[in-house]
Order: sequence, then structure tokens, then C-alpha cells
Amino acid sequence: MRMFATIAKLLVKRVLTAIPILLLVSALLFCILRILPVDPAAMSLPPNATVQEVEAMRTEMGLNLPLYQQYGIWLNKLFHGDIGRSIHFRQNVTSLIGSTLPATVELALIAMVVATVFGLAGGLFLFYVRGTRAEAVMDFISILLLSLPEFLWSLFLLLIFGVFFEVLPFTGRLSPGFERPVVTGFLLLDSLITGKLSTFFNALEHMILPCLALGIALSPSLMRVLRSSLLDAYQDDYIQQARLRGLSEKRILIRHGLKNAILPTLSLMGVQFGFLFGGTLLVEIIYSYPGMGNLMVDAIRNADLPIIQGAGLTYCIAVLVISIVVDSLYLILNPKLRVR
Amino acid sequence: MAIPSPKNPILSAQNLCVESVGAKESFPVLTDLNFSLEPGKILGLVGESGAGKSMIGRTISQYLPNGFAVTKGTLAFDGEDLVSMAAERRRSLLGREIAFIPQEPLSGLNPVLTVGQQIKEHLLRIGLAPGENWRERALKEFESVHLPHGAALLEKYPHQLSGGMCQRILIAMAFASRPRLLIADEPTTALDVTIQARIVKLIAEMQKRDGTAVIFITHDLRLASQISDEIMVLYAGRPAERGPAKQLFSAPAHPYTRCLQLANPTITGPRRGLFILPERMPGLRVLKELKGCRFASRCPNAIEACTRTEPPLADIGPNHIAACIRTEKTPDIVPPPLAPGREIASSKIHLNGEKLTKAYTTAWSPFAKRSVFKAVNSVDFALGEGEFVGIVGESGSGKSSLARLVVGLDTPTGGKITLAGRDVTANGNADRAYRREYIQMVFQDPQSALNPRRRIGSIVTQANEASGLHNSTRERMDRAAELLKEIGLPPDAAMRFPSQLSGGQKQRVNIARALCTLPRILVADEIVSGLDVSVQAQLLDLLLKLRDEHGFSMLFISHDLSVVRYLCDRVMVMYRGEVVESGRTETVFADPQHAYTRSLLAAVPPDDVNAEWSPVLAEAGYQVE
Repeated sequence: MRMFATIAKLLVKRVLTAIPILLLVSALLFCILRILPVDPAAMSLPPNATVQEVEAMRTEMGLNLPLYQQYGIWLNKLFHGDIGRSIHFRQNVTSLIGSTLPATVELALIAMVVATVFGLAGGLFLFYVRGTRAEAVMDFISILLLSLPEFLWSLFLLLIFGVFFEVLPFTGRLSPGFERPVVTGFLLLDSLITGKLSTFFNALEHMILPCLALGIALSPSLMRVLRSSLLDAYQDDYIQQARLRGLSEKRILIRHGLKNAILPTLSLMGVQFGFLFGGTLLVEIIYSYPGMGNLMVDAIRNADLPIIQGAGLTYCIAVLVISIVVDSLYLILNPKLRVR
Repeated sequence: MAIPSPKNPILSAQNLCVESVGAKESFPVLTDLNFSLEPGKILGLVGESGAGKSMIGRTISQYLPNGFAVTKGTLAFDGEDLVSMAAERRRSLLGREIAFIPQEPLSGLNPVLTVGQQIKEHLLRIGLAPGENWRERALKEFESVHLPHGAALLEKYPHQLSGGMCQRILIAMAFASRPRLLIADEPTTALDVTIQARIVKLIAEMQKRDGTAVIFITHDLRLASQISDEIMVLYAGRPAERGPAKQLFSAPAHPYTRCLQLANPTITGPRRGLFILPERMPGLRVLKELKGCRFASRCPNAIEACTRTEPPLADIGPNHIAACIRTEKTPDIVPPPLAPGREIASSKIHLNGEKLTKAYTTAWSPFAKRSVFKAVNSVDFALGEGEFVGIVGESGSGKSSLARLVVGLDTPTGGKITLAGRDVTANGNADRAYRREYIQMVFQDPQSALNPRRRIGSIVTQANEASGLHNSTRERMDRAAELLKEIGLPPDAAMRFPSQLSGGQKQRVNIARALCTLPRILVADEIVSGLDVSVQAQLLDLLLKLRDEHGFSMLFISHDLSVVRYLCDRVMVMYRGEVVESGRTETVFADPQHAYTRSLLAAVPPDDVNAEWSPVLAEAGYQVE
């Protein structure tokens, strides 16, 4: 019971602190992008527009009001879910993000699951072979993996499984001919909800390579942190005491060692997951995956300010949500953090 | 009393040798260990750190540190050799037939599991009676170790409990299987005196209930003689003396036993000087080359013959053996005369505290009312020039909080501190600078108080960095050489790193650092706890010698009453943030007025082995747990 109370307290506290953070980030986003030498009015008109037409447009868009007033207007619209219209796509930013965000979330979540599975298994194995010759080999391999970035993995996997063996698709989210069901925006979920199993498996196939690339790239650091936290935990008396009570090594590892060693690993996972939102970018481009990453690249290339602002805010909210989730998990797993 | 019983020994060692087996050469860690332990008996293992006491426990469990192995001899549990036994068979004995109680109760329990989860795991492994519920059984076991509120305890995590409670839980777990052998490795070293007494009594009580044989490992000879039937004194991995506890303690035959006894200050009777065991126990490498008696280099009775051959363990009485060729000379070892007492010029008060208070208020939260906890509550004290004042009390009594107020690490929430005539209560920047010249602190744990990446020479002259005076390399090296000479370390120690020094040497460095700018007052927080008695005696005399040379005064915080009695002119007894009694040390200890002081004193094992030790006075209201 106490645990839930503590988590509730944490949630309230974190949500309250999130408000000023979001305001600050929105102000920053707004100011920086307004300072850029890009004129949104000129951009939303055809190239042959006259100076008068641009001026009229500026007045219409409110661009000649003082900056703080512009921010106020922008913020007010933001509260009503209106981040403006994309200059390049001529579409509402909210709906653009709404259609690409679920794709990226799906990608990041599954990549994180892959990273966790590989990371935990690898970390346990690294720990298990400690002090043997296999450790040196595993150590070498884990450092090698650590030094390979996700876009290299993307290219390797694409070449091997996509081009050479031709066993997995490597562009987009669905093969041509499949219809996209739209309920929540999450493709895997939607295809299950609508009962279209073939669509589900097709989408899953498309996700294997990008998720593997991201997951494999993230896992070595998890492995190494888990291994070293396990080594730390095994220095503690309670491990020795558990042995002296005659518990089996397996039980000591899982119930006593891992339960303590998982904590630093968990905070690293939180950081990585936050990072994944920006980190899917290259992988999305390589696999032509229609997520936030691709949207961002297009927006930056075209200096599409509303999208950049929208994406920036989305990223900020995502990181805040993730850190609240990780901290709650931390409270569940680490009783020392709970208030007495 | 020493009637040989016909019982079979539960544990017996024959010519047991444990060596550290290196790639090129191996070093003996335990040599020719012979003993047998009968059911229901307590064997006390005594010696300085590094003597191999804990190695015996590790050998029994066969969880030896990496690179160590039994190379000779047998260690039989109930007739079965533990060393050659299959690992699975041995593991099935551990926790059921052979139980362990650790040194650090707080870290002996897993921090992320509740007490209930841990005791359940253990009870299910050792097996419950048919139809028995683990929860009922756990509560029954808690009751037998006098733990109240057992049901609530099951939901708690270790960090929510005190060290004494954790140790009781570990004892309850250890005795849950009614083991036939129990190894208690310094089970009370990390605990307060009052709790130490209760825990020791508890182990004895449980041991009697189940007829368990116990190996009680401790560095405290006095404590061992109170609880044990037989004592084995280990020196550098080999028994120096073994005999019935009372006999060994009242008439030690081996000079080492005698020296250990005399190195420890007394708690009753006239104060006497401390015997200073010189240097240190020989290291593994030296031991291997050594021909004669391993204690010869430190022995006050050593003659030329002692360095030729290792003396055998010879009978010197019923069931009493000692490895010394001159046991008849052992009683001749006497402590040095006590340094003449100092008359304190109480007119010259250095430091004065009036109604000093430190209150902590819990952090603001919308969910709970803020509460106030007074760590130090309206304490009055004065420290005269050249005076050593001891502060005693259990953990949580506010000793360390008071020290932090005195040195200015914390700012008091009430009252007044005057330092050499200046009011420093506000603890502003000017006050701090003023304070730094007058007061320095010596911290408890030299391991963490010394920066491992700095050389000793730079550590001891650290104070010069803050003042900016005498901060050139030349000046600092010169000052370091002086300081090292004063604290009795060789000059080349200046170039070493803390990790290259022993625990006692590190604590000397810690003292030297505080002395660098010649402060008028030292505040020492538990600076000899956790050290061997021999090292403790060296440090206590060093402090007295330094006082003679420099005339500083000291606030000496300690939970060890006999140390305070030896060192301090006056004593303050603290209980829950308040000073309940203070006065001249001898007067307070000889005729304590406050019930709390009486219960603290009663908790110390008496000097006289035949005296009744009734530590648990249970005076109403003075139970910390």
C-alpha cells in the first residue's frame, strides 16, 4: 500500500514539475525558430509573390506583433491542440505527428524489448563466465558490438537478410497490396484489433530488421552495466550470507544478485529509451520507415517551422513521460527509495 | 570443570593447512591447525586482524577467497571431511546443520527483499513440519530471539531496521534449523556495547537451548573469555595458545595472549598503562622464510633461541597448550607505568557550548505534517586547554551530530558556541576561517577519509592548500616529513598512496592531517573503533604523546567506555541528544549517577573473568530498541 502511495506522490510531484519544463521548452522552441532568418510568411506564398503580398500575409499571420504576443497566441493555440499548418506538406501538424508518432513509438518499444532481451542475456552470460578464458573473448565481442552504431547494423542487416538472402522486407511498414487499418494509429495493435492477422505478420516482418538494428546497437552497454552491477552486488555480504545458508548459485543469482543489479541497468534503459526517439532517425531513413524521424528530416530540410516545433515538443513530452515511468519502476524495485 | 566428556566432537581439525596458492609460489595462511569442538561447547577464536580467524570459518564453508586452498590435513564435521566432501553434500549441510552469523548485520540481509521474503526462503529450504505455515514458524523463531512485533517485521526491509534487530533476525534464521554447529564471525563488532551484550547473551541462550557447538570469532579477548568454554588464540595463522577460557584469561601462558590482554584498557579498578605491541604481525612472505617463533619479533621475552626453531604447542596444564619455550616468563610482562595525570587549568576554556541544539525538520510534503527531530538537545559543555573530553553513548545518541556542530560542518538551530572567546554560532564565512585555525576533525574511517589518488605527503599537508600559506612543494614536503616523524611513520611514507599502508598507519596519517596546521582542538569521531587492540593502544599513546608536545585539547567520541576511561580527563554521557551525565572520567565510571550510564557500564564485559556479567539491566526507559 505504501508503495502505491509513494508512487502517487511521485506522479503528482513529477507532473507538477513537468509543467514549467514544458513551458520553458516551448518558449525556447518558439524563440529560437523565430530568430532563424527564415520568413514563414514568404515561405507560405508562391516564389513570385510581391512584397505587398508578403506584408499582407505577415499581418494576417500576426508576424508583426511583438514576440511575446506571438508566443501567447501560439501557446493558446497549442493548448487547443493546434500547432499550426505545415508549410511544406500543407497539412495540419497535429495530424502529421499523429500519423507518424505511433510508428516511431512502435519501433522504439520493440527495439527496446530486443535490447533488453539481448542486454540481460548477454550481461548474465558475461557475468557467468567471469574469471574464465571465455570472459576475455566475450569482453572483446561486447566491446566490438559497442563500437558499432545502429546505422551500420541497419546496413549490415539490410544487405544480409534483405538483399542477399531476400528473406525479409526492408522498406516501409507494409508490403504493397495490404490495406492499413486505422483505429489507434499503432499498426500492430490495429491489425490485431481488426482481426487482420496477415496484415499483422506483414507489419511485423517489416519491423524485424529496423528493430534488430536498434536493439543490437543498444544492448552492449546494457550487458556491460548489468555485468558490472552484478559484480558489485556479489561483493556484498548478503550474497555470501545466502551461500552460507546453502542456497543454490542459480537462486542466488536470480533472486538476490539480479534483483539488486537490475537497478543501475534500469536507469540506463530509461536514458536509452529517451534517446531512441531521436535515435530512430537514421534507421527510419535507411528503411524508408514513415515515422517521426523521416518527418523531422523533411521538416528540417524544408525549414518547416511548425513541424520542427511540434516534433520538438513531442520529444520533450516523451522524455518526461519515460522518466516518470522509469522512476516509478525504480520505486517498485528499490524499497530504499520509498519514504519510511 | 574441565571434565573430559565422552561425546564425539562435532568439528575436528587435524593438521589443517590453508595456503594462498599463487602462480609461482604459495604462502601459508593457516598452519597446523588442530582442535576439536564438542557439541554444546563454545570455542572462542581470538587474534588480531590477519591472524586467520575468519579463514577458519571460510574453510568450514569451503567458500575460500580466490587463490586459497586447503593443502594439508582434514577438517571433519561429525566425522565427515568437509574438504573432500562433494560440493552438493556440503551445500546441503550449510544453513541446516552448519549456520553462520555475519559481522555486518545490515549488509547480511538483501536490501531489496523484505525480511519476510528472506526468512520464508530460508524456512522453505530447511523444510517445515507437515502442515506448518512458514509465517507462524517465522513468528515463533522471532519470539525465541526476543523480537517483538514479529508480524510487522515481516513486511519491513532491512534498511528500516536497526543493526541489532537485523542481527536478531539473522540469529533467528541461523537457529531456525537447530544447527549442530554455528560460526559467529565478529557478530557484535558493528553494534553498540549495550546491544553487543544482548546479542552475545542471546547467542549463548540459543546455543544452550539447542545444544549447538559454536565457534565465536572475536578480536576482543575479554568478550571471548566471558562467553567461551575454550579459547584459541591465533597468531599469524597458527595457534599460539589454547585452553579453558577462564584459565587462559586469568593466567595466560603465551606472551602474545598476555600482551593482547594488557593492550586493552580496563573498565574497573585502577587505571594502568597499555602494553604497546610493537610493529605488526609478519606478512605472508616473511612468514614463509621465518625459521623461529613467529611472534619473536614483537615478543618482549624473546631470546636468541626463539629465532631458531618454531616452538611446538606444548602442554602446560590440563587441556591447556601454548607454543612458547619460555611460558614461565610470561607473567613477568607488565604494562608500562601510567603517564602522570594532567592537571587541567580549567580557567582557560577553549571551547564552550551553551544550550546547543540541532533540530531537523522533515522535508515539506503536501501529504504529511512536518515533524521535528532534535539530534542534539540543549547541550552545555566546556573544553579546557589540553583537556581530553570523551563523549559516550549509543549510536543515535547525538555524539556525531554534536561533533559536526563543533567543527562547523553543521550550523546549530539553537544555543551558542564560543571558540576562544569568539561567538561562532552563526557559522558565517569569517567564522569558518577562524574555526579552521582552531579546530580540526579526525574522521572515523581512514579508508574513506583519505583520498586514494593522493600521496601521503600531500594528504597530510592538505590544510596548507586552504590557507594558501606554506603551500610550495618544498615547504609542504618539509612539513610532511615532520608530521610523519611525529606520528611514527618512516619518511618514505610521504611518497606512498593510502592503499600501501595498513589500517593503523592510515589512521595515523588521518591524525597527522588534522595536526598539520597545529590546531588547538581536535575532534575525533570513533577513531580507534574497528582497529586491533594493539593498534588501538599505539594510537591512544600517540595521542597522549602529541598532547604533551603540542598541548591541544580533544573531544573524543567513542562507544568504547574503557578507551574513554584510559584517555579522557572528563566524560559526557549522551542519550537521545541530551547529556545525561558528565564529570571527571574516574568519578563517573566509578560511581555513575544516571541509570543510563549504569546500563552502559554494565554492558562492558568485566575485566575479571570470574565476575558476573549481567549486561541486561533493562532499566526502564533506557532500552534503545
